[in-house]
Amino acid sequence: MPARRALSGTALIGLVAAVIVAVALPVFTSGYVVYIANLLLVFVVLCLGLHIVIGETGQFSMAHAAFYGIGIYASALANRAVDLPYPVAMLFGALVAGAVGLFIGALALRMRDIYLALATFAFGEAMQWVFANWDSVTNGPNGLRISPARFGPIEILSDKQAYPFVLFFCLVMIGLTVAISRSRLGRSFRAVRESEVAAMAMGIDVRRARIVSFGLSAAIAGFAGGMFGLFQTFIHPDSLGFQTTILVLTMVVVGGLGSIAGAIGGAIVFGLISEVLRQAPQYQEIIYGAILILFMMYAPRGLFAFIGDRIREARHGR
Amino acid sequence: MVAENMAAETAAPFLDVEGLTIRFGGLTAVGGLDMAVAKGSIHALIGPNGAGKSTTFNCISRFYTPSEGRITYDGRDITRMPAREMAGLGIARSFQNLELFGELTVFENVLIGAHVHAGRSWRDAISARPRGIVEHVDELLERTGLTSYAQTKARNLDFGHQKMVEIARALAIRPKLLLLDEPAAGLRNREIAALDRLLCELRERDGLTILLVEHVMQLVMSISDRITVLSFGTKIAEGTAAEVRANPAVIEAYLGREAAHEAAHA
Amino acid sequence: MDLQLALIFLQQGIASGLVSGSVYALLALAIVVIFKTSDVPNFAQGEVFMAAGYVALYLFVFQKMPIWVVLPATLVVAFLAMALFRRFVLDQVAKSAKDLVYLVIATLGLSYVLKGLVRRTGFGDTPRSFPALVPTDSIMIGQASVTLLDLAIFGTAVTVMAAFFWMFNYTKTGRAMRAVGMNPKAAQLVGVDLRRCHMLIWGLSGVISAIAALLISPKILMTADMGSIVMLAFAAAIVGGFSSLPGAVVGGFVIGIVENMVGLFISSRAIVLAPFLAILIVLVLRPQGLFGGKLTIKKV
Repeated sequence: MPARRALSGTALIGLVAAVIVAVALPVFTSGYVVYIANLLLVFVVLCLGLHIVIGETGQFSMAHAAFYGIGIYASALANRAVDLPYPVAMLFGALVAGAVGLFIGALALRMRDIYLALATFAFGEAMQWVFANWDSVTNGPNGLRISPARFGPIEILSDKQAYPFVLFFCLVMIGLTVAISRSRLGRSFRAVRESEVAAMAMGIDVRRARIVSFGLSAAIAGFAGGMFGLFQTFIHPDSLGFQTTILVLTMVVVGGLGSIAGAIGGAIVFGLISEVLRQAPQYQEIIYGAILILFMMYAPRGLFAFIGDRIREARHGR
Repeated sequence: MVAENMAAETAAPFLDVEGLTIRFGGLTAVGGLDMAVAKGSIHALIGPNGAGKSTTFNCISRFYTPSEGRITYDGRDITRMPAREMAGLGIARSFQNLELFGELTVFENVLIGAHVHAGRSWRDAISARPRGIVEHVDELLERTGLTSYAQTKARNLDFGHQKMVEIARALAIRPKLLLLDEPAAGLRNREIAALDRLLCELRERDGLTILLVEHVMQLVMSISDRITVLSFGTKIAEGTAAEVRANPAVIEAYLGREAAHEAAHA
Repeated sequence: MDLQLALIFLQQGIASGLVSGSVYALLALAIVVIFKTSDVPNFAQGEVFMAAGYVALYLFVFQKMPIWVVLPATLVVAFLAMALFRRFVLDQVAKSAKDLVYLVIATLGLSYVLKGLVRRTGFGDTPRSFPALVPTDSIMIGQASVTLLDLAIFGTAVTVMAAFFWMFNYTKTGRAMRAVGMNPKAAQLVGVDLRRCHMLIWGLSGVISAIAALLISPKILMTADMGSIVMLAFAAAIVGGFSSLPGAVVGGFVIGIVENMVGLFISSRAIVLAPFLAILIVLVLRPQGLFGGKLTIKKV
C-alpha cells in the first residue's frame, strides 16, 4: 500500500534548488543578506514550535515570544557563566523554555481550552515585563549583550561565519519536527485536535498530550532563541513582545495551519514580506492584520494550498 | 480442563452491570439497572427514545460516572476508572454521532485506534508505520471494505463508510468487549446487511463480546443472543429476540397500550 | 508602614478600585457576552475600545462637534463596526473553516488593523486626554479621595450594566440571545434569526466597549496602545468564570481593587503583573472561576 508517497519530480527539483541556494548563499551575497537569512532560519524554527502546538494539537499559544525570549536569555547567560561549547547553552535554553512551558500548560489546562489562549497571552505580557525589569539578570530595559558563541576553538564573530551553524540547527529542528509528527506522539496530538472524546476512547491521555505538545513547542521556541544568539550580539526586551508572537502566528497562518511544509514556507515568504514592510512601518500593523483576516476568510489552509487549488481549478477549466 | 474453563466463563458474566443509577440534577435518567452480558455474545440494548440507552452506554464506556451502582468487566470493578484506561483493558467503543478524526486519512484513523499497542518499544513509538500494527490495520481495512479508501480523508467519505471507519478504528484496539452506539442508524439496507455479517463474524471467528445500542430492529433481531429493553430508565424486559418480541410490556412501550391490547388478543 | 496609613491606603484602594473596576467590568461584560454566544474570545475588544475613544476624540476635539452629537455618533460607529465585522468577516471565516481557532485569529487580525489605522491617522502620536465632561473636584468618602468624575464613571457604568442585564434577562431580544448561547440549533428551530442575533450581540458589545472608552478616556492618556487594558478585562472575565455575566462584573471590581492595592502597597511598576497573577491564582485555586458552575459534560 502506498502510504509513503514518492516525492514528485518537480518537488524534488525544487528541493535540490533550495538546498543549493541555501548552501551557496554566503558565497555570493553581502553580509546583510546573510543576516536576513539567519533571521529567517530562526523564524522557521519558531514557526515549527508554534506548528506543534497549534497545527498538530489545535490549541492556542500566545506566548511564543516569551519562550523565544527565555531561550535567548537562558542560553546567553549560560554561555557567559560557563565555558562550554555553545550547543550546550542552546540546549539549556531549550530546556528552561520547555520546563516553563510545561508548567504554564499544566496550569492553564485545569480549565477549558480557551483559557490556554488567555493564560498564555497574560504570561507573554508578564514575561516581557520580567525581561524589562529583572535588572540583575537581564540587565533590564538596557538590553543584554550576548557574548560570541564558541565551538571549541572556533569563535563566531560574523553573520557569514554563523550561517552554516544556523542552517544546520534549522535542518536538525525540521528533522525533529517531522519525526515527532510522524511518531505515535504526533498521531496522538492530531487525534486530540480532531476529536477529544474519540482520542480518549482510543486510550490517549488528552490532558497529557496537550501539556506535552505545549512543552515541546516552548522548548523548540527556546532553541530558536539559542540560534538567535549564534549571530546576534544584543537582545532588547522590546523585541520580545506580543508583536513577535503575532508575527510568528501570521507566518504559520500564511503557510497553512497544520502542515510542516506550510510552517517553513510561511516563515520564509512572510519573513521576506515583513522585511519589505520595514520600509513602510506605518502600514505594517494594518497589513499584518489585514493578511490575518483575509487568509482566515478566503484561504484558511494557507497560501500554498490556496495557490494549488487555483491551479487545479484552472486546469480543470472550472 | 478446557470444558471447566468454559463453564467458569459462562457462569460469571463478562460485563456485569448492577444497580446502575444515573441522575442529572433532579432527573433520574437510569434507575437501578441490572444487566449481564455473557462472554462471546452479542447483547443488544434497546428501547424507545429517551429510555436511557445512550446514558447507560456512556456509563459503561466510562464517559459518564454513575450516581450509584457497579460495573464489573472481566472480574474487575471499572465503575470509577477514567475513560482513557478502557482501551488498555480491551474495551472499545464507537460514537453515535461519529467522532472521526476528520482531517486525517482512513488509514491514520485506524492506526490511531491501535495507539495503546503502538508504544511497545521505542522503535515502534517513533515509527510512522510500526511493525505488526500496520499489517493489522490493513487487515481491518480489508475486513470492513475500506482498503480502497485508506488514503482518503475521513471527512470526505460518505456516511456509510464513515460508520465503518468508526468500527474499524474501535477494532484496532484489539478489544475483548466492543461497545457500539447505534452502528446501523442512517445506513442503507445493503450496508446493514454487511454490518450484520461483520458483527456475526466478529463473534464467531474472533470470539468478541459485543454490546450494542440500536434502533434498527432488523439488525437487532437477527444477530442478538440476548436483548435488554429499557423504558424510562428501567428494564422492562430481557431475553432472546423471540421472547422480547412476544413480551406485552415491550410492545406497549414501543407502540402504546392500545397496540399491546390488540396484540394480546390477536 | 503604620496601621493608620495602611487603613487610608486600604480605603483609597477600594474607592479607586471600584472606579477603574467598573470600567473593566464593562469591558469584561462585552467580552463575555460574545464568548457566551459565539464561543470566541474577542481579542480585538481592547482595540475596539481604543478606536471608539479616538472616534470620540476626533469628532469632539478636531471636528468641534457638540457633545450631544459626539456621544451617540461614537456609539453608533462602534455598533456598526462590530456588527459588520461579525456579518461580513466572521460569517465568511466560519463558512470556509470549521475550527474556532480561525475565528480567534480573525479577531487578532482586527485588533491589528484597528491599531494600525489609529496610528496611521496620527491622532495617536501625541498622548492626549479626552476633555472631562464632569468637574474633577475632589470629595472625601471616608478617608478616600475621589473626584466627581470618578463618581460619574462609577454611576454610569453601573447604570449601563443594569440596563444590559434587564435587556438580557427580561426582553424578547435578550431571551433570543440567551437561547443562542445555550443551543444555537434549537434557537434557530424556534425562530431566532441567528445571523441577526449575532450581529446584534457583537454590535452591543461594541457599544459597551465604546461607553467604557468614553468613561475612562478623560482619566488616562490616550495612545494607540491603550487597548492593552483589555488584559485586565480578560482577567476579570476569568475570575468570573468566563461565561457568567454577573461573574464578569464582580470580576471587574475584584481586578480593579487588586490592581490599585498592588499599586499602593507593592509598587506601581508591578501593576502590569496584577492581571497575570490574578489569573494564575484563580487557575490554581478555583479553575472554573468564582462564578462558573461545574464543568459540563460533553454529550457524545
